[in-house]
Amino acid sequence: MLSFELSEEQQMIRETVGAFAREQIRPAARPADESGEIPAALAAQAWQLGLVQGPIPESLGGNGDTRLASTGALIAEELAYGDLSIAAHVLAPRLLAFPVLEMGTDEQRQRYLKRFTGAAFAAATAALTEPRWDFDPAAMATVARRDGNSFVLDGNKCMVALAAACGTILVWAASANHGRVEGFLVARDTPGLRIGEREKNMGLKGLETYAVELTGCRVGAEARLGGEGGADFRRVMSQSRVATAAMGVGVAHAAFDYARDYAKERKAFGVPIATKQAVAFMLADMAIEIDAARLLVWEAAWHLDRGEDAHQESYLARNYVAAAALKVADNAVQVLGGHGYIREHPVEMWLRNARGLSALEGLATV
Amino acid sequence: MKILVPVKRVPDPATTIRILPDGSGIATDNIKWVINPFDEIALEEALRIKEKQGGGDVALLSVGQQAWQEQLRTGLAMGADRAILVRADQPLDTLAIARVMAKIVGDEKPELVIIGKQAIDDDSNQVGQMLAEMLGWPQATFASKVEIAGTKCTVVREVDGGVETLAFELPAVITADLRLNEPRYASLPGIMKARKKELKEIPVDSLGLDLAPKLKIKALAAPAKRQAGRKVGSVEELVGVLHSEAKVI
Repeated sequence: MLSFELSEEQQMIRETVGAFAREQIRPAARPADESGEIPAALAAQAWQLGLVQGPIPESLGGNGDTRLASTGALIAEELAYGDLSIAAHVLAPRLLAFPVLEMGTDEQRQRYLKRFTGAAFAAATAALTEPRWDFDPAAMATVARRDGNSFVLDGNKCMVALAAACGTILVWAASANHGRVEGFLVARDTPGLRIGEREKNMGLKGLETYAVELTGCRVGAEARLGGEGGADFRRVMSQSRVATAAMGVGVAHAAFDYARDYAKERKAFGVPIATKQAVAFMLADMAIEIDAARLLVWEAAWHLDRGEDAHQESYLARNYVAAAALKVADNAVQVLGGHGYIREHPVEMWLRNARGLSALEGLATV
Repeated sequence: MKILVPVKRVPDPATTIRILPDGSGIATDNIKWVINPFDEIALEEALRIKEKQGGGDVALLSVGQQAWQEQLRTGLAMGADRAILVRADQPLDTLAIARVMAKIVGDEKPELVIIGKQAIDDDSNQVGQMLAEMLGWPQATFASKVEIAGTKCTVVREVDGGVETLAFELPAVITADLRLNEPRYASLPGIMKARKKELKEIPVDSLGLDLAPKLKIKALAAPAKRQAGRKVGSVEELVGVLHSEAKVI
């Protein structure tokens, strides 16, 4: 009953997205890291792959495909193999589109999903993380207070990708009434919502992220994701963690491939350094970490695809991958020796990007 | 407009090719197979023509084994409307392939056949030309630009030392060169739709054609390993080496 076999479609999706990542994303990774910008033409080309449109119902202009977390994990890994910043950029619209698709009311689906079915990249995002050392998604400091037929949001968010370019932001906030986390679809120009300066980060430098302040930000009751019933935030977090973990596997895989190829080429004492046990063992350990990490991601995705909440599995995967990706990227720098530390090789960039995986939540979803 | 795009399954150009010890062929284990890159360019051109005309029918055609379905599915995911696989489990030479294609063209009656200028496995560069000859259609090989207006077609083709422009009436056979276009990636929705599209199988024996091989591959050999370069001291020495050792001047 246990199988790791991908369906024919998943195999094709993996190959296509992988080819796109190698041929289009990877060459743009270093320039994006240096300039802090991701070319609009690249985001537009990625949009043509249908990363967001696929599962949107045909009645709303989408393709009506079944949405699978396992397929989402494959896509996230392949894109991040090209570059983590660009992967997070092109997947950001899912942060709003997919919760609306799965948990929105009919009105919300009608109102918000159509914008993702056009030919042009439609920026969208979600505001989850808060700038506090003890940030806990289950105990959020951003609060939504019911006031008659509206909600008033107060709190601070950070690491909100593409916030300045989005028409609408999905803001996650704790209900002042019952404490549970709920989502609110907030137009960017709503009074009381302020987008701060672009953040300056250690890694993921191509990705635009912003602080978002909510001060007495009033939205109508119809802005609450899922209406009176609310949304399943636990499931949203599991999906987000599977995506983040899958992207971490992609970063680690990229670092490993680069270090392995380098070690087979680079000679010391007349032989390739890959033949030296000190390097060969390190490469073997990296390969083991990547496979182990991917299996945790696939297991969590498998639970999600069975309709289970995968709370524990997705957390284990996400936690393990954050450490594994950092270790693999660090080892890649080590395998390259002095060359690993200079910017002519991408491994130092991958090390900075991998460090972000343990610090960041809610950058993508499956 | 009905367009037929023949595609061949070939090893991924990025794959390292190993020749079998007896020289009878290449080792096919661990090889990733893809659509012949020139055929992919041909398909892209057919899709662009269809999109520009606002409709039409782009059909893929392969002559080969069951496994060739994979590449046909990829072509369907890119946007082709349907695919035909002529099942032939025996190896066929270029003349036999062209005969099969001519027969299918006769049944399908496309107004245009676009095919890669050559397949990157054996680089024969024959099928497009043979097919046009058998059909008695105009042929425009090595196309780098294709324009269609009604039944008139203009092709810019790459020739030694420049480009040549041909104008002719459809139906015709065009073979695609590298610079004709840059093929698109299949989209995720395209991949999901591909399985629902028609993939028709026709046994090659049912066509009643003479497919007896006229060509025999006697042996394959890897090219000689490239020697490391060396520095020469003077122009005289360089000319001497190029003349007496490399024998290129």
